[in-house]
Amino acid sequence: MSGTPPASSARRALQNYPLLRRSETGLFALILLIAIVAACSLSDFRTATNANEAFNNAAQIAIVAIGETVVILGRQIDLSVGATLGLSAFLVGSAVGHISGPLGPVAGVLMALGLGALLGLGNGLLVNRVRMPAIIATLATLSIYSGLQVIVTNGSQLYVSQVPAWLANLRADSWLGIGPFIWIAFICLVATSFIMRMTRFGRDIYALGSNPEAATYLGIRTGLRTFQAFAFCGALAGLGGLEYTSQYGNVDATAGSGFELTVIAAAVIGGVSLFGGSGTALSAVLGALLLTEIENVLALMRISIFAEQTLEGSAIVLAVAVYAVASRRLRRPLRREQLLAQFEHLAPLIERPPVEVATATRPSNGPALGSSADG
Amino acid sequence: MANLRHLLSRWEVGLVAITIVIVVVAQLDGGGLISSYNLQTTSLNNVVLLCLAFGAAPVIMTGDIDISIVGTLSLVGAFTASLWAHDGVGIWVACALGLVLATICGVVNGLLVVLLDLPSLAVTLGTMGAYTGVSFLILKGSAIIEFPSSLVTLGSANVTGTPIPIGVVVLVGLFAVLTYVVHGTQFGRSLFAIGGNRRAALFAGIAVNQVRITAFAISGLFAGLAAVFYLGDYDTAQAGIASDQLLPAITAVILGGVSAYGGTGTIPGVAIAGVLLALLQAALGLHGFSGEGQTIAVGVLLVFAVGGGSLIRSGTFRRLWPGKAPGSSSASAVIDAASTGGG
Repeated sequence: MSGTPPASSARRALQNYPLLRRSETGLFALILLIAIVAACSLSDFRTATNANEAFNNAAQIAIVAIGETVVILGRQIDLSVGATLGLSAFLVGSAVGHISGPLGPVAGVLMALGLGALLGLGNGLLVNRVRMPAIIATLATLSIYSGLQVIVTNGSQLYVSQVPAWLANLRADSWLGIGPFIWIAFICLVATSFIMRMTRFGRDIYALGSNPEAATYLGIRTGLRTFQAFAFCGALAGLGGLEYTSQYGNVDATAGSGFELTVIAAAVIGGVSLFGGSGTALSAVLGALLLTEIENVLALMRISIFAEQTLEGSAIVLAVAVYAVASRRLRRPLRREQLLAQFEHLAPLIERPPVEVATATRPSNGPALGSSADG
Repeated sequence: MANLRHLLSRWEVGLVAITIVIVVVAQLDGGGLISSYNLQTTSLNNVVLLCLAFGAAPVIMTGDIDISIVGTLSLVGAFTASLWAHDGVGIWVACALGLVLATICGVVNGLLVVLLDLPSLAVTLGTMGAYTGVSFLILKGSAIIEFPSSLVTLGSANVTGTPIPIGVVVLVGLFAVLTYVVHGTQFGRSLFAIGGNRRAALFAGIAVNQVRITAFAISGLFAGLAAVFYLGDYDTAQAGIASDQLLPAITAVILGGVSAYGGTGTIPGVAIAGVLLALLQAALGLHGFSGEGQTIAVGVLLVFAVGGGSLIRSGTFRRLWPGKAPGSSSASAVIDAASTGGG
């Protein structure tokens, strides 16, 4: 590290404590800050009911946002999650009504995951085999799935009375003092974080999202991974549908419409890059939390509900801008310094005059190394 | 012969063929799709959609996307109506100011995307919420109705003595202007160059940032025009209007042959795709398929058209389609994806 330029104290702190460099830390601090300020100034914010309600809402967004994040990390996008959620809410919600006994919940969850994965595979098929851009393919399946939703609902509704008791009561239930939705979201978060960090699937998705071409040359089965990512996202959206049925009881043809934008907004606010390859499941969960928190505080401050959409939209733009600027300011110099330090023993090769490199020695990795360190 | 094959391999020809098939099948099956009343209603119902699609096309040609167009539409509708109803501004002055606002909305998108180098999907997702929200702030959930007859005439009346709606004539005029701008000017060629390969366009001396921002401004302006058409046609201004028009508009652009990666497509193609979608929905509606059947049909059509097109281009069907594979190969799509990702 002798060759690195002297860093300012702030930058040195960032260098020495990698946790500070993670966008999740900053986001978590922001969520905490808003919560503290809101708790101090708004008495309604402090109530257990409000906290429970807010966490419940955030958990529902978070589950689907985690799935969406996996797809976005692989440099794809899934616009059909809202329709998948709605279709699953109605179909699984009415199917579990016919299953009695303790098997009901298990069958319900499996059906929701399975139906969602199936619909996700449909997206994967279009993206992978038919070679459509993901945004167009999932736009088409959004039309198709929401059309199917209208057909299966057949203009009617699923009423609370048709939903089995365990599902209808799930929302108000409490396991160890915490709502089931929050547990489910937590399990999804832990499982997805594990999968994305520790398994080959996860590492492949990051590689694929960072540079699809390089991933192909590395021998990563990009097609298979894309299929799996879409199926994963669909499965979680299906699970979200089951929760929708539990939360609202009434499911009609419009259930879940527009949810895809909320979910993508949560991922983006959480710092998941739409260019792929950057972000974690935790980012999506924190994004969902921040989104819900803003909504909650605005509602409690009696700010016109009409202002909410404006502020949320601005929050998305602001979040994207901040992440972009921060990553450019912070990461690039650091990455360059790290790269230089890593290849310090090769420095003479890089610093050799260009003429000599070109004519005499021509080391195969010299110019490439130099350009990657610059980039 | 080669010319004929080249002509037949054009995307627009395929669209026209599908349109003709739809019309013929619908006619043979009865229901009277081609009657002056049906055509009039269908065209009036789709002026707003086509206007949005025209505006979105140049942005998509540069490889960006603008999903805030319905937000802009809602905002301009609310702003114009409120100026007229609450501030006593003349309706045409209000419309003009609305169009200025629409262009500003587009420029704001462009500046955010281009100068801060942000993904356009995320930015316009945010501004869509922001613009729609402002329209709610302006109208507060109320509706403004009964606009002056001059505006309603533009939106829903016919050219005197003919069964042709005025709105359609104006739209054709806008179409002609946009076609010239996109296919007949240096600016238009820059759009395709940037969409094809942004870095190469920069090295070729094209003012990439300026062109991209202008494309967003055009998108905003057309969303504003769509708002004016909307007010005239439905004679109602409400916050959040036409939010269901976003996906059909983007569908029309993509079906029209504009690649989602940018760099290809034509404005006439978008127009034909819009007509095709309008006729398909009208025909399905006349045969008793309600909204859901139509939605599915649009989705399936999109899959078949775009999916089939990309399969043909990538060479999977080359044995069925002798001669040179038209358009860009999948390799250039990969390069596009790589260059947009690196930027």
